[in-house]
Amino acid sequence: MKYYIKLGFILFIITAIASGVLAYMNTLTQPIIEENQRVAQEKARKEVLPSAITFEEVIKEEVTGDLIYHIGKDAGGNIVGYTFVASLYGYSSDVKTMVGVNTDLIIEKIKIISQAETPGLGANCEKPEFQTQFSKKQETDMKVDKDGGNIVSLTGATITTRAITNSIKAALDKLDLSAEKAEGRIE
Amino acid sequence: MTSLKEFTKGFVKENPVFVMALGLCPTLAVTTSVVNAIGMGLAATFVLVFSNIFISLIKNLIPSKIRIPAYIVVIASFVTIVDMVMHAYLPAIHKSLGLFIPLIVVNCIILGRAEAFASKNNVFNSILDGLGMGLGFTLALVVIGSIREILGAGQLLGFNVLPETYKPMLIAILAPGAFIVMGLLMGLMNLKKKK
Amino acid sequence: MNDVFAVSAAPHINQKISIKSVMWQVVLALTPALLVGIFFFGIQSLFLTLYAVAAAVFTEALIQKYRKVPITIGDGSAVVTGILIAFNINSSSPWWLPVTGAIFAIALGKQIFGGLGFNIFNPALLGRAFMMASWPTLMTAGWKFTAPMSNLFQSSINGLRNLPSNVPDVVTSATPLGVVKALRDTTQISSDMANTVMDNLTSMNTLQDLFWGNIGGVIGEVSAAALLIGAAYLAWKHIIEWRIPVSYIGTVFVLIYMFGGINGMFSASIMLPLFHILAGGLILGAFFMATDMVTSPVTKKGRLIFGMGCGILTVVIRLIGGYPEGVSYSILLMNIAVPLIDRYTVPKPFGQIKR
Repeated sequence: MKYYIKLGFILFIITAIASGVLAYMNTLTQPIIEENQRVAQEKARKEVLPSAITFEEVIKEEVTGDLIYHIGKDAGGNIVGYTFVASLYGYSSDVKTMVGVNTDLIIEKIKIISQAETPGLGANCEKPEFQTQFSKKQETDMKVDKDGGNIVSLTGATITTRAITNSIKAALDKLDLSAEKAEGRIE
Repeated sequence: MTSLKEFTKGFVKENPVFVMALGLCPTLAVTTSVVNAIGMGLAATFVLVFSNIFISLIKNLIPSKIRIPAYIVVIASFVTIVDMVMHAYLPAIHKSLGLFIPLIVVNCIILGRAEAFASKNNVFNSILDGLGMGLGFTLALVVIGSIREILGAGQLLGFNVLPETYKPMLIAILAPGAFIVMGLLMGLMNLKKKK
Repeated sequence: MNDVFAVSAAPHINQKISIKSVMWQVVLALTPALLVGIFFFGIQSLFLTLYAVAAAVFTEALIQKYRKVPITIGDGSAVVTGILIAFNINSSSPWWLPVTGAIFAIALGKQIFGGLGFNIFNPALLGRAFMMASWPTLMTAGWKFTAPMSNLFQSSINGLRNLPSNVPDVVTSATPLGVVKALRDTTQISSDMANTVMDNLTSMNTLQDLFWGNIGGVIGEVSAAALLIGAAYLAWKHIIEWRIPVSYIGTVFVLIYMFGGINGMFSASIMLPLFHILAGGLILGAFFMATDMVTSPVTKKGRLIFGMGCGILTVVIRLIGGYPEGVSYSILLMNIAVPLIDRYTVPKPFGQIKR
């Protein structure tokens, strides 16, 4: 019996040291990781809504799930548009897209910020040629060509294209700002 | 002489991937490009060297009954450190390697070397063994990664190496391509050994 | 695959038959389909076939020379593989597509296992799977319609094109099976419209077109009639045996009749199973690929099981899977099961008592 207590004690010492070291490493790296993610998000936001200088986070509660979006303001503090992340499961991964829209909810630019689709097919959604076609389009245009819309799908990757398009459409639906405007929360 | 042997044996003679067939899961999964291969290889090498050092140091303190859980704790700690450091300083590679960094914990090469070598040898030789095996692993990954990236994307390290007219052979960067390329390389190694 | 090749209980008779004579007769049997392909798609089809054959034969010779085994390119088995590879691509493919496909088929599909007789998979199908995974756009896009395409089939496709909600991509890459797949998948057109298109596709005229070859598709599977002529020749010469093709096609017929309709179980007309049999690669696969002697079971009961398995997988892929066509993958999957099938269907020697 004593022997097993001794074994447990040795194992306890080892794990205790290991957790101590890990906790210390975590305090060192965690701020850098968070800062990296914040900078990356900020950069992506600027990219899809170039006219905005500052961004302000808003969380909109919806029955169908909350939408977090950012209000983009220019140097004078005027609202120039909104950015949000649209996400939906594609062929083999969650495809996350940063979308920038102007105040009329017409898309300025989109940027795929994370995906793990099939290389050579779905992964081509990261190419600028694919993403530029979303510019100047609005919610009603969000339909893939195979479903009778005008978004040209990637060759051999209709499912990925559909996920991106439909996720943007759903997010735009949620973003519909008429209610906020009526309540005077934003101008 | 013997020390040098401990270092170089991992390159070809006892190559963890091609000869011992260990750590095949990351080998197949992350070798879609050379950059990923190098990132994975070096991360595994780091873990291998440091876990070898520690296990060699504490080998006499650990009763043999609990050696496996003890090794796993040591290995998992180093993997977590690598994971956090890469996430902080190499976010791009961390993102593309994704889940496979935490999975280094269950890479058989590392536990295998801890059990088969570090727990029986002194610190200096364990370092050499870990370094050699890690570099051998990296070498195997880079070879597979180069072939797959050239065939499957027409690129090497992200630069176009084949003419524009080359139509990438997609199968090479898909999962079956990993099995085919690795199988052929293993076959070549066996063929060479036979002669 | 005459009865003499089946594992059966004694007594056995010896018959004079060789790989060489079998393979060259298969080549002969494939010729009508090739001629129809050339007639509909132009001389380019012939060139693509010749490239594939040359690449297959050359690869075989090269590897056998390196392995220091007798060079057996004269037996025609590499020629058959080459022709079947070319049959699986469309006539506008670049020259290197059948060439790489044939090299892969012979080198990694056959010689790496030890040559003819040791391969697990049908080399030609492995070559096709390789081309499909490597260049999916070349393999599926750019189908050519045959020049004298019938008006009715055209109008049913035009019907799709002029739908109010528009389904354009269905048309640009449409094979008949592609259209059926799109009909099942799309939620964008009304059920009336879908029923109309379905009726058009399964009309007598469309079936006739499918039978004679007035459809879009790859070089070799365009005309069911030409393939059946070849198959009949092989059956007459006792090179293929009825069990695999009949159980394969029969299974497809029954399952499509049960589940193939777009309005639930048993909603399909009796024409739909016929449509599924004539369209796509089923005839080519069932008669020329599933019956490959090396990669199909040697027992009679085993062949029935093998054919049924192929049929079930084909229907599952066509109706539920991501691809419109599943013949090649279903045969490849059943190839893996062959040793197991053989093992459990070995006939009992005469006189042995069941324990």
